[in-house]
Amino acid sequence: MTILGEFALWISLPVAAWGMVLGYAGGRTLRGDLVLSAERSIYAVFGLLVIACLGVSAAFLGDRFEYWYIANYSNANLELFYKVTGLWAGQRGSLLFWAVLVALFGVITVYTNRKKNREFMPYVAGVLQTIMLFFIVVLLFADVNPFERLEFTPADGRGLNPQLQNYWMTIHPPTLYLGFTAFTIPFAFAVAALLNGRLDARWIQLTRRWILTSWLFLSVGIVFGMRWAYEELGWGGYWFWDPVENASLLPWLTATAFLHSVQIQENRGMLKVWNMSLVLLTFLLTIFATFLTRSGLIESVHSFAQELKIAYIFLSFMGAVLAVSVVLILYRLPQLRSENQIESFFSRESAFLFNNLLLLGAAFSVMWGTMFPLISEGFTGQEISVGPPFFEKVNFPIGLVLLALVGIGPVIAWRRATKRNLQKNFTIPVTVGAITAVSLFALGARHELALVTWSISAFVLTIIATEFWKGTRARARIEGEGYVLAFFHLITRNRRRWGGYTVHVGFVLMCIGFAGAGYNTDSRFNVEPGDVVEVESPFGHTYELTYEGLSMSIGRGERNLLWQAIATVSVRRDGEPQGVLTTEKRQYTNRDTQPMTEVGIRSIIQEDLYLILSAMNDSGGALRNDPGAQGIDLQVLIKPLVNWIWIGCLFIAIGTVIALWPSVDRARMAREKAVGSAEPAAAGAD
Amino acid sequence: MKKNGRFMVGLVGVAAVVTYLIWTGVSETMVYYMTPVELVEKVSEDPTFHEVGVKVGGMVVPGTYARVEGELLHVFTVSDLVDESVTFVVEYRDALPDTFTDDVEVVLEGKLRADGVFEATTLLTKCGSRYEASPEELAGTGS
Repeated sequence: MTILGEFALWISLPVAAWGMVLGYAGGRTLRGDLVLSAERSIYAVFGLLVIACLGVSAAFLGDRFEYWYIANYSNANLELFYKVTGLWAGQRGSLLFWAVLVALFGVITVYTNRKKNREFMPYVAGVLQTIMLFFIVVLLFADVNPFERLEFTPADGRGLNPQLQNYWMTIHPPTLYLGFTAFTIPFAFAVAALLNGRLDARWIQLTRRWILTSWLFLSVGIVFGMRWAYEELGWGGYWFWDPVENASLLPWLTATAFLHSVQIQENRGMLKVWNMSLVLLTFLLTIFATFLTRSGLIESVHSFAQELKIAYIFLSFMGAVLAVSVVLILYRLPQLRSENQIESFFSRESAFLFNNLLLLGAAFSVMWGTMFPLISEGFTGQEISVGPPFFEKVNFPIGLVLLALVGIGPVIAWRRATKRNLQKNFTIPVTVGAITAVSLFALGARHELALVTWSISAFVLTIIATEFWKGTRARARIEGEGYVLAFFHLITRNRRRWGGYTVHVGFVLMCIGFAGAGYNTDSRFNVEPGDVVEVESPFGHTYELTYEGLSMSIGRGERNLLWQAIATVSVRRDGEPQGVLTTEKRQYTNRDTQPMTEVGIRSIIQEDLYLILSAMNDSGGALRNDPGAQGIDLQVLIKPLVNWIWIGCLFIAIGTVIALWPSVDRARMAREKAVGSAEPAAAGAD
Repeated sequence: MKKNGRFMVGLVGVAAVVTYLIWTGVSETMVYYMTPVELVEKVSEDPTFHEVGVKVGGMVVPGTYARVEGELLHVFTVSDLVDESVTFVVEYRDALPDTFTDDVEVVLEGKLRADGVFEATTLLTKCGSRYEASPEELAGTGS
């Protein structure tokens, strides 16, 4: 099977090249046979890449350690689950996985458009094949072939990095990849529109769902990564402004900008060049993100490789895509003229534009900060880096203004807002925001950033709640429905708008959660069994923690564990027993590393209690089960509001799905139309 | 046109503010990334560098790690990756990451005090998920 997979990967190379040439040729000549062949080549490449993936998986399941990739990311004892997910555990497999996802989306696109939008399809097929060809070339020629063989067969593999043996880590990368790769379809349509000159809003309508799908996976994927860091890295944080994290944030920022600015094009026929550029830029950034994640050009806690060859190939490809994009846009500039002008500073267009500018500003600053070590070394010969303080200093203010715009944008009028419009919509929310600020201050909140964030959040939530309320009430009155039904119908009749509002609610909740970090507490104790320590949380809860002791379990190699030291702590909150919480040190057999930490988390809706076994006083004694060697360093963190980040993400996901869901009305209209057109036909048959 | 003018002012204003934030952000938070050799040289040329925060990558010298009893203070010696004769003592007051051993490449942030001791505020160990082995290492795993 593995041989077959390797063979399939090689065959996919000429097939993709063939499809690419035919796609462009078909687009120019409009010869149906060429176009059909180009489209079919996408099915073929997909099939071949699936076989290649199965080949890798077969090698994992069969413990074929003669393959470099298997030897480095698996071993005989590895749990089956991680052998199955091994395909995307490392650089080589994940590049293949990436290519197969592009092919999958290509197949869906070709299939759903086999009878419509034919003017786009030749070029779409050509662009998709170009991208796949690129990944296949990388796989085969950049020293990252997953089928590369060692000169000998090791008796066992190195096993999987224990930090990657976590539920979130198995779903975080593929979710992000789905987001990255789904964006190739809008890119392909955008380039096709530039090539065939059909530059009205058609390509945007065709790709709206793809962009939303991509955005959904990106958002969720990023938050999965945060969740993984929070549970597994053992320092209580979820975001470190690490180059790889930044890389995944960049396309998210530009895609978010596009989702907003595209509404100006649809409503007012403006910003065509801008929107086109945003799609091209977002695609480039998804490639850049893969490149950063998988090349290790910039130091990162999770870089996977340091080969330079792949860096050059990626940089040339990105350079070529950029050059072609710029040339195409310049060539089509006359057709991308704006149909209208902005009339007022106080208008929805203006709010959207500011939103875009801020998102792009944030993206630029993140890019700048990430690349700064390279830039400074290039110019001054001295490597200078900027850390999390830089990103926070720049992005917190931008984030706060964006947060306020989330409230302002949807209710300010198009074209020109009157004083009455402003007064009517903003008096109550501004008051609520101000009351929130004053009452939080009165309650003793003094963290400025958190105070500002929560006040603006209150302002925004009031606006969104008012919108929902007004819409529901109007519908209940007009249609005579009950409020619950009216609310439900309100959302289903304009999914895009109300789905968008739901996403906004999610974003606000996440911001509320982020601001909670201003009240994180961190206490460290050296405890012996029986010791009781007390920690006060910002919400006024008292946690009474009794250290029960350390238990050592010797794993004898099962699940690759050598030993596991488990510290047990009984938790009482405000005197109420809450059961026990454990935090561990684990030593894995197959790594020459220090033990890994497993943290203990107890969540309630307001806050998390987060326990870290920092160190054992005498680990040698503990291993021998010496009763006198049970003392540990226990770190106790309180994470207020952290759960609202995950809850907010859930709202974002639900909102996006609402916006994505095909509208009922349109389906009904289509059915009615079908019935309507069937009747004359029936009459004609008579 | 007057409205448009005001609008442009707004746009330029936002761009200017973002640029300003990036500019001051960089100058306030930037950290020099140096090798121990470069740092020792720099400090001897320019003594004010004792106060400047720097990031240094080096190798922990095996056998030099010690934990000061009774407080959370770790002391060890770090050498240059290339020129192993250049070393300095590091003091670090925080929990060590799981991946720390006394034979590992570390990236330290902090300053080199005038007494020649490097006071580290953050410590990262290099390698993370790059766990790829050379063929020789692989050959060794089975035995």
